[in-house]
Amino acid sequence: MAEKLRLKIITPEKLVFDGEVEELVAPGQMGEFGVLPGHVPFLSVLFPGRLRFKTEESGENTLIIHGGLADVKDDTISILTDQSENPEEVDVAAARKDAEAFQKELDELQDAEASEREDLDRKLRIARARAGE
Amino acid sequence: MPSLKQITTKIKSVRSTRRIMGAMKLIAAVRLQKAQAALMAYRPYSDAYRDVVLNVAALSESEDHPLLRVPEEKTNLHVLFFTSDRGLCGSFNSALIRNMQHYVKEQGEAFGNIKLSFVGRRGRDYFSKNGLATGKYYTGVNEKNSRKFSEELAAALTEEFRAGESDEIVLAYNHFVSAISQRMTFERLLPLSGEETDDGAAESSSDYIFEPEKERIIGSILPKYVQVRIERAMNESLTSEHAARMTAMENATSNADEVIAKLTLLFNKTRQTIITTELMDIVNGTEAQKGGNE
Repeated sequence: MAEKLRLKIITPEKLVFDGEVEELVAPGQMGEFGVLPGHVPFLSVLFPGRLRFKTEESGENTLIIHGGLADVKDDTISILTDQSENPEEVDVAAARKDAEAFQKELDELQDAEASEREDLDRKLRIARARAGE
Repeated sequence: MPSLKQITTKIKSVRSTRRIMGAMKLIAAVRLQKAQAALMAYRPYSDAYRDVVLNVAALSESEDHPLLRVPEEKTNLHVLFFTSDRGLCGSFNSALIRNMQHYVKEQGEAFGNIKLSFVGRRGRDYFSKNGLATGKYYTGVNEKNSRKFSEELAAALTEEFRAGESDEIVLAYNHFVSAISQRMTFERLLPLSGEETDDGAAESSSDYIFEPEKERIIGSILPKYVQVRIERAMNESLTSEHAARMTAMENATSNADEVIAKLTLLFNKTRQTIITTELMDIVNGTEAQKGGNE
């Protein structure tokens, strides 16, 4: 069993992170989950949210991801996501306003079609993750 | 022999063409650089996606999802053919079209019906003549809108496959190897299963955990993977096109240089001849006058 995990965070635009981490916490669709070295092979769909991982050099890191996939195999975690953001670069006030607007819209759309609600739900989750809620 | 005036006009026109081609070369070089950077960034993403999907597909039965279903009878083949919209890129399109003709002929034996869809004008212009161009046609695809186009295409093709209108869908595009080399590739897009797995993907199959359950994961990642594959093909094709155009324009400029050098030589020779003729006329004239005086 390896001591470390290798984490790769890949978006269509770039390789955001590729390095060794001690642990990772990711926003899975069935709730947040943590990965430590020696994890069994695992595949999960992720919600938009915050990804946290600990590295030896920089300690605790947080990244906002816009949904995606997490594949854990042989102590390598691949996170595939459409987009990732650094929380420090986000306009929190604007994100909070977005989140409120989406929430309101979602409440009003109770009987709308599932696909429409899903889309809105995704937007809301992204806004919330960006606002740090 | 052409007059001096004719030669100068010709040199001038070759010069101005050369200038245009030189500019096109520079533009292609810049666009190639950008497209190549985008492609190099996209490849790890799509490759990682492929690994995940192959892994899941290897652990699944073909009944698990409509996109994994292998049709029992193969009658309808749908090929999505990527060419460029514009010319002046050397043999880029003609080579693609030639390979495509071979492919159609080959597959014609296995499939009863072949349908072609196009991304790019050149391919369609050619195949619309022989009645194969019965599918969709997209033009104006570039690096900025390839995401949008691929989503649209993925939705349409997925729907078509689900409905059973096509039994197999293939992508045909130029794979970018380097700035001077591109390779035409035929790649099966759907059905997704039965793909060649180079490493034994199913090794650790039994203890793979899926969250949520496998069926829902498949439902969410397979359609997305179709889009990723199409976008990748678009990026590969666009990058190849810029590379081909750059090489073609580079050849064209050096050819123009050669032509200019030849024409300049001809110009000098002609001028020399004219001077010599004139001199001879003068000398003859004076000699004749001398004769008259004596």
